[in-house]
Amino acid sequence: MDLIISLVINGLATGMLIFLLAAGLTLIFGLMDVLNFAHGGLFVWGAYTGVFTYTLTESFLIGIVAAILTGMILGFLMEKLIITPVYGNHVQQILITLGSMLVLQEMIKVAFGPNAIPVSVPDYLAGSWELGEVILIKYRLFIIIVGLIVFGIFHYILTRTKIGLIVRAGVMNKEMVQALGINIKKVFLFVFMTGAALAAIGGMLMAPYSGSIYAEMGMEFAILGFIVVVIGGMGSFSGSLFAAVLVGLAGSFMAYYVPSLSLAVNMILMAIVLIFRPQGLFKMAKG
Amino acid sequence: MGMKTTNLVSKYHIFFFVILIFLIAFPFVADSRTLTILFTQIFIFAILAMSYDLLLGYTGIVSFGHAMFFGIGAYATAILLNTFEPTIGVFIGSMIVGILLSAIVSFFVGLLTLRLKSHFFAMLTLAISGLLLVVAEKWRTVTKGNDGFTFRAPDIFKDRIVFYFCVLACLVIVFLLLRRFVASPLGKVLIAVRENEQRTRSLGFKTLHYKVISSVVAGVVASLAGSLYAVSLRFVNTSVMTMDITLDALLMTIIGGVGTLVGPIVGSVVIEFAQHYLSGLAREFPIFERWIIFFGIIYILAVVFFPKGIVGSIQMQISKWKSKKEVRKTFALPEDKERAS
Repeated sequence: MDLIISLVINGLATGMLIFLLAAGLTLIFGLMDVLNFAHGGLFVWGAYTGVFTYTLTESFLIGIVAAILTGMILGFLMEKLIITPVYGNHVQQILITLGSMLVLQEMIKVAFGPNAIPVSVPDYLAGSWELGEVILIKYRLFIIIVGLIVFGIFHYILTRTKIGLIVRAGVMNKEMVQALGINIKKVFLFVFMTGAALAAIGGMLMAPYSGSIYAEMGMEFAILGFIVVVIGGMGSFSGSLFAAVLVGLAGSFMAYYVPSLSLAVNMILMAIVLIFRPQGLFKMAKG
Repeated sequence: MGMKTTNLVSKYHIFFFVILIFLIAFPFVADSRTLTILFTQIFIFAILAMSYDLLLGYTGIVSFGHAMFFGIGAYATAILLNTFEPTIGVFIGSMIVGILLSAIVSFFVGLLTLRLKSHFFAMLTLAISGLLLVVAEKWRTVTKGNDGFTFRAPDIFKDRIVFYFCVLACLVIVFLLLRRFVASPLGKVLIAVRENEQRTRSLGFKTLHYKVISSVVAGVVASLAGSLYAVSLRFVNTSVMTMDITLDALLMTIIGGVGTLVGPIVGSVVIEFAQHYLSGLAREFPIFERWIIFFGIIYILAVVFFPKGIVGSIQMQISKWKSKKEVRKTFALPEDKERAS
């Protein structure tokens, strides 16, 4: 029983991390239909600038703020320079965002050096509680809580507020929303920047969890993010959360019980979901 | 008009012929081992990229799992040459085994995945090729996993120039066959699927069947490229099945020009040369140490300046220029007539 609880908590924490990463993609890929292969680059830049500020100021919170700012700035530049000309054209999106990904990833090595950087958990989040035989690692609980808060905020904004309504309408019919007097370009820019900021937060929170950061981690996690968005159903935050937790739990249980299959578990999960529910687990928010 | 088109076709033929003669003469004129190997590499990836273009450019489907067929071909050749005597017969047999395996796999994968819409199809192919990669990594008794293994190639291929000609011949044959294929009635249906799948279906074509045929042909050609690739390195490991191979094929196709057979070849030339020279520059000048940045910038600029790929943009320019000429002929202005006489 204790073992199962530990595995569940591990799985939930990993799942939440994956969700934070996939949340940005849910906006950019799921809602706006941009195949953003540079998402991993935003993730890594968030992690590096966040960790850099964190070690400089020794405040984890300022580190997170720095990561968010980096994400928003990069998101702004990318949307304006890279994404705007290729909306609606997947083939060109793949090429141009892969190019940006290479640039972002190599710029990390120029700015911070090519070696992996070790990251420690801040003091007040280090350590763990013991409940009987179960060991609760504080940082994992912290991640679960942050993940739930982010989910709550975005689910609320997207489904209950006017901004969410405009975004969803803009995705469905750009010209119509424009004709109603709303500057849809600005809205898309804002959505893209938010997605980029979410990726950066995910990267920053990932850093103490995995203990070290390196430039190549972006692409690995970006593919994981794409998997989660597709399994969950494009553009649905509930879907992404559910899929991310599913991926996290499956990974944690498989790693314990069937370690030889743990490499394949995400792929198997995605194959099963897509074969039986080709539209993803949850229906698209666009309807 | 009739005269004009035949005239134009022969112009293209002469163009191809000149390039072919150049490529045949190349290893004798330029006595450079590195360039011969680089060209061999270019030909192999051109075959792979052409097979990818059959999916992306002619049928309009984005696959993220194309590397699995490349990998099947590479492993089939490597394992058979390693187990049996490295003779030319075994090599040809291994190519056929790889082709058959790829045909079977791509048939079933196609049936399973091609029902899905674009994103979901792309992701499912990624998942299946990911599974195959894990199998290759775990089945160590046969594949030796990520460490890979070296094997002896047939003696005749020890001479790099002989192998160069073999690969060149394969490239020309595949190019001609694929050109025939896309111009056939079947190929026309594939293009119709790309343009508008629903309309094609309502015209009475079972589009799924055609898409499966396209993916089988693409898989078979990719497997052939994989076999040649394994022999060119005389080494194989799991990297032949990774996403990187798929992305390379994808980028070569897009840079060269989607929906043309010459495009992927041009793309393969551009990318392999850029890779070769940029990494060469990195050894000489420290500024180029992070040469991949320039590589990324090339991709971005390619989209900005050649949105239809290099060949596609050139074609567009030619047709624009031709239609201008046509207009001039039909509505000839007096001063033009004077100039002509």
